[in-house]
Amino acid sequence: MGTIIVLVVLGAIALFVVSIYNRIVQLENRFENAWSQIDVQLKRRTDLVPNLVETVKGYASHEKEVFEQVSTSRQAMMGAGNVAESAQAANMMTAALGRLFAVAEDYPDLKANENFRVLQEELSAVENKIAYARQFYNDAVLQYNNSIETIPGVFLANPMGKKEQVFLEIPETEREAPQVSFS
Amino acid sequence: MSTSAPERVPDSITDGVTGRKISLLDWRAANVRSSYLLAFIMVLLLAAIGYLAALALRPAAAILFVGIAVVVAGVQSGVAYWLSDKIALASAGARKATLEEHRYLVNVTEAVAIGAGVPAPDIYVIDSSAPNAFATGRNPEHGAVAVTTGLLELLDRQELEGVVAHEMAHIRNYDILFLSMLAATVGAVILLRDLALRVMRFGGRRRGGGSGRGGGQAQLIAMVLLVVLLILAPVLATLLRLAVSRRREYLADATGAYITRNPEGLASALEKLRDYSGERLEASEGVRHMFFINPVQRLNASTVLATHPPLDERIGRLRRM
Repeated sequence: MGTIIVLVVLGAIALFVVSIYNRIVQLENRFENAWSQIDVQLKRRTDLVPNLVETVKGYASHEKEVFEQVSTSRQAMMGAGNVAESAQAANMMTAALGRLFAVAEDYPDLKANENFRVLQEELSAVENKIAYARQFYNDAVLQYNNSIETIPGVFLANPMGKKEQVFLEIPETEREAPQVSFS
Repeated sequence: MSTSAPERVPDSITDGVTGRKISLLDWRAANVRSSYLLAFIMVLLLAAIGYLAALALRPAAAILFVGIAVVVAGVQSGVAYWLSDKIALASAGARKATLEEHRYLVNVTEAVAIGAGVPAPDIYVIDSSAPNAFATGRNPEHGAVAVTTGLLELLDRQELEGVVAHEMAHIRNYDILFLSMLAATVGAVILLRDLALRVMRFGGRRRGGGSGRGGGQAQLIAMVLLVVLLILAPVLATLLRLAVSRRREYLADATGAYITRNPEGLASALEKLRDYSGERLEASEGVRHMFFINPVQRLNASTVLATHPPLDERIGRLRRM
């Protein structure tokens, strides 16, 4: 009789531990998946850049400084190896593209170019998706951090080797980025 | 980009009935649970009606009546589960949006889907100048959002994001599954009522000659119960469904505001739709409850027959966030 009770209690504890373990893994997968969402958009943006630069060059070839900045950020983007580097390069590119579009404002012919307009809509759509993906990522990270820093998850986090994740900052330049009208 | 949006938007809402705070994330689980519960209750209710009908009319045929009831319930919920999205899209005259024609809408929807953490839904367009939208699909993997061309013309990007996020909230919260199950329950009860009334009239005539036995008390009680159940059930079920539908709209507004972190976009969209006075959307009664605002303006009201809460109240709640 006594053995049965002990076994039942042990079984219940084991089930409880398994459920906490699963919860942590689930939340970890969620923010990793959230990061891949951002990554997809960053790649798409990087792919759109050469086409955009070519189009703008056709009308404003002497704005070398801006092209340089965009090109540098693109190199950084493609060379980024981890989340922190990607995030930093992404912010650089956001700033550079913001300047490029600001410069484009001075060239009416460029703004009327159909190819440019499509690229502009695509790029601001990508920016928008990046913003949403980053928001979702931060939400997921918050949930994950909570799960490994509160009881009962905190007891498992160490043995599982789980560490607190950092949030993605929203760059200041992006807040000031010129709004494009689409109506 | 919602740069001016406040960073903090509440992720829970206060239940108007119990006054408790409910996390928006918990609603999804509650909805899925309730949907299965409803399907179960529907089968039970229909079996009960079938059994009572059999008892009241022809005891020997009890099995047959219960069988019919269960089959009706099964077919109704099966149709609700697998076909309600296709039926809704077809009856609204929605056509699939293409990237070439509606690049802007596709981009906005994909962005909001990322924010909501659901797969990008299928996107449809309804050719009507009346601004409106609806969502359908039994789960996020089968989600679809349809908007009218009038909505695209009337709203700016932030407002459109708000409306799309509201619809995405219905998808993410499994509201569509829940409401179509509820609608199927109500539909099945009404169908059964009509069937039973017909049988009763038919049966009544047959027994008109009078079997001297007097039927017995059990049969009489069953008959009374059956009549009460058949008259009351559809009314109660309909009122319940409408009340649930109104609450879901508040919830979807709150969730939409949370997804976009921008209650003002949604509030301003609702304002524009309230002040719109032009062509009306033709929508049959069965699908009206699905839309962003009820196509029949007076059904966005504070009456028991309304499918949506009053627009001013929805706007007010968003502005107070």
